[in-house]
Amino acid sequence: MRVMERTFREQLFFLVLCLSVLKGDSRYIENNEISKDELYSFFNSELKREIPEELMYRRPLRCLDMVAVEGQFTFTAEHPQLSCAAFLMAEPTEVITVDYDSVDIDCRAGDFITVFDGWVMKGEKFPSSQDHPLPLYERYVDYCDSGSLRRSVRSSQNVAMVFFRIHSAGSSFTLTVRKHINPFPCNVISQSPEGSYTMVIPQQHRNCSFSIIYPVAIEISEFSLGHYNDFPKRSMPGCAESGDFVQLLGGNGIDTSKLLPITDLCISFTGPTHMKIGCDNTVVRMVSSGKFVNRVSFSYRLLDSQELQTIKLNNVEDFCFNT
Amino acid sequence: MKLNFSLWLVALLGVLPPPSAHCGPTVAPAGPRLPRPLLLRLGEEFSLRLGGGGLSSPVAAPDLFISSSSSSSGVNQALLQLTQRLLQVEQQQQEEEVVEEEKGKRSEEPPISLDLTFHLLREVLQMARAEQMAQQADSNRRMMDSFGK
Repeated sequence: MRVMERTFREQLFFLVLCLSVLKGDSRYIENNEISKDELYSFFNSELKREIPEELMYRRPLRCLDMVAVEGQFTFTAEHPQLSCAAFLMAEPTEVITVDYDSVDIDCRAGDFITVFDGWVMKGEKFPSSQDHPLPLYERYVDYCDSGSLRRSVRSSQNVAMVFFRIHSAGSSFTLTVRKHINPFPCNVISQSPEGSYTMVIPQQHRNCSFSIIYPVAIEISEFSLGHYNDFPKRSMPGCAESGDFVQLLGGNGIDTSKLLPITDLCISFTGPTHMKIGCDNTVVRMVSSGKFVNRVSFSYRLLDSQELQTIKLNNVEDFCFNT
Repeated sequence: MKLNFSLWLVALLGVLPPPSAHCGPTVAPAGPRLPRPLLLRLGEEFSLRLGGGGLSSPVAAPDLFISSSSSSSGVNQALLQLTQRLLQVEQQQQEEEVVEEEKGKRSEEPPISLDLTFHLLREVLQMARAEQMAQQADSNRRMMDSFGK
């Protein structure tokens, strides 16, 4: 009797299961329309999904602004604005595209909108000229010079800037900011004072920097230079002779070529190396010859005021503290 | 003699591009100057045509290609038009040179910069991150609302 009940129960469950499978929508293959069904669509790494118009984020652009989201930003001059700039920022693994949507300015009167590939502060630029693929004059794209020919400007890293000057009240322009995935980021400015990151340079002859615009305690957990994997953990003097090494830089500007070297690492190791750097800008910079796949992993956190004070008192060379 | 001169003139005119309807009216040197964007556009068209090399112009050749049997008055008219066109070309080239000089000067000028302290930069960065989180939360809420429908 119990066996019969068990068998009946199993059959009943099986029947219910079949009915629910047949009734449900799982038999339909859903197309989420991320990529079109084109013949060569798999060669294109860009996702085809665009932000729907109703979900597009919009807000006015301020004379001094920082934009870390995608969306449309409109600046309307209520009075002449002669020195304005907007910082654009994305995640470390993203690049930024700026599109001009509707521009109503008077170029002949001296108005301009210029997109810079990177950040510029106090005449210093990030990435530095040594680390950026383009010459300086190509990193500035002026709408008045090339607006009709080049309505979309793409950055080479996760930061960009827009400088603009408007002489007449009522003039306006709209920028659409979008972000795109960058599979091999090179130069990065960190959005936050704490986090972790792994920088990889896959056999490319280039120099890449990760900039943290805060005083931080940094821990380098792993560092490998291709075949240099079995050497003990130490840092050698004279790493500059090696074609592949990691620099730890610090200073009070954003141009990595003007920062002071704190230490160089050119022997691979696995195991944390801790350092506390009380500078406004801390940079992990990797120099790569292109012969190896170089990788460095590190984490960082913000120094509190007591740690900063201790560093200031103990430092012989106060190159990061302005008197 | 006249035949040789006419052939030489035809060869000269053949080097210069024929005018098209897009160029607008012929601008005399002493006449009113065209607005600058229009002149630049004329220069672009001109340089594009020069860069086209052996490509034939879609516009029909003007009546300036005279035959060997033309009269001297026709030759004089052709010479006058040739002179006018040369002056127009020279004016356009001067305009282009001015534009190039300005571009060169702009590239030699110190790059645009912003004097901002790190403290202020961190403040605006914090505001931007707060905006990003708020916008992400709003986007998530909209998505969840659409899922529930």
